[in-house]
Amino acid sequence: MHWNEVVCTVLLALGCVISFSGSYGVLKFPDFYARLHAAGKTDSLAQVLILLGLVFVTPDVLTQVKLMMVAFILLIVAPTATFAITKAAHLDGLRPWTRGGGQ
Amino acid sequence: MTAVVIIDALLLLLVTATAVAIVEVRSLYASSILTGIYSLLMALVWVNMHSMDVSFTEAAVGGGISTILLIGTIVHVGREEKPIKKRLHLPALIFTALTGAALIYGTLDMPRFGDPAAPIHHYRVPEMMAQTVGFVNGTPGKQKPPEGFDLERYRRFDGRVAGPIPADPKDTAWREKSILQTYGLMVPQVRAAHEPHAEEGHHLHPPDDFNGHVPNSVTSLLAAYRGYDTMFETTVIFTAGVSLILLLRRPRREGYLQPGAVMSDQVILRVVTKLSIPFILIFGFYVITHGELGPGGGFQGGVVLATAFILYALIFGRAALYRVVPPPVSDILAGVGVLIYSGTGAVCMLLGGKFLDYSMLNKELPGDGESLGMTLVEYGVGITVSMVMLTIFNQLAEERST
Repeated sequence: MHWNEVVCTVLLALGCVISFSGSYGVLKFPDFYARLHAAGKTDSLAQVLILLGLVFVTPDVLTQVKLMMVAFILLIVAPTATFAITKAAHLDGLRPWTRGGGQ
Repeated sequence: MTAVVIIDALLLLLVTATAVAIVEVRSLYASSILTGIYSLLMALVWVNMHSMDVSFTEAAVGGGISTILLIGTIVHVGREEKPIKKRLHLPALIFTALTGAALIYGTLDMPRFGDPAAPIHHYRVPEMMAQTVGFVNGTPGKQKPPEGFDLERYRRFDGRVAGPIPADPKDTAWREKSILQTYGLMVPQVRAAHEPHAEEGHHLHPPDDFNGHVPNSVTSLLAAYRGYDTMFETTVIFTAGVSLILLLRRPRREGYLQPGAVMSDQVILRVVTKLSIPFILIFGFYVITHGELGPGGGFQGGVVLATAFILYALIFGRAALYRVVPPPVSDILAGVGVLIYSGTGAVCMLLGGKFLDYSMLNKELPGDGESLGMTLVEYGVGITVSMVMLTIFNQLAEERST
């Protein structure tokens, strides 16, 4: 294996593990906000890792630049979408879960 | 079992599960989100089949804008499905079963997935496969033209028969000597079967359509070979917009601009929206303009453009959107797109060709004329699609606040 394939494999594996942990969190966490916390954070990181991993095995520069632009834009847009969803839920009156209280 | 088949099986399993969930779920909200998920899964299925254009359309239209419009509709009709008496509706069951059986019966005639003997792999596609961007332009890093290949002549070739044609229609040797055949662009048996009446100066039709100037074969097919279909698809979308205006638009009452909830007091949303809208617009135009080079085209690009406007309206309110695109402007532009498409066809007729015969636009280099014609047509589609989507959104939102 060439070094770039090794880097790519490591990054992809890391991205998959983080993505999986996010899915697990969505299933396990108690309320809406905690689940979104799991989904939003892991997704933002996992997509950057996966796209960066792909950059290392892409032969031509144009595609590499495009992949990095996608990663960068998603890095800004994905957390914003998560913020918008949480804010909307908050304005809608959804109270966060607390141990022993409410819900 | 190849990886493609395994991934396909997994994806189709998920698609089926999502479809069942869409039917079963009572909340319309959940149901429309599931519809978006369904579209994204289907987009992955198309990617797996290497049909990027279809996948792009599915993701942009199915996963993107339809979800927005469905949620906009739910705001009007309420979040919950009306409870229905759970009993068997026999006519509906029989009808559904018959339709399903007919569809399955129809697929029996189709070639197996990936079958190398399928007609599509022997007719047209070999010619189109031979036309890659890198090959034509000799871009570094892409496939190089073979030694002694006359690029200029290749670019100028417009499918005209060069020499005398033998009287015997079974004598196809002359075709094998033509430049396209030399580089594997013609399948002589097919050509002979389909163009038995070729004579000197006669246009060989298929190379004329796809002579290397519109490298994306899907766009070639949609905009040239099936140009009429695409034109009427655009007209259908235009008609949908007009019908919606006729159904929903009424004299404006006081407060028609009152938004349900404006998010412009959220700094993060405001800043990110302002930052991303230019990029969304550029991407939309890129997708439309590059429709002939890569996956994309008028439909996908138009939807992307529409999302930029819808995002602006969601964050800054419709009053701000109406200052950018007043409703009369979007109404007129929706028609202008169709006009550009049919107008391009009419110009081709005026220049002496057939309707939508783009090669008439540039008689020196017919291939460039085709490229130009398809770009114009894609822009027509893009303008209509984006403006109709915007109109639908506006109507739904206006209905809400009055």
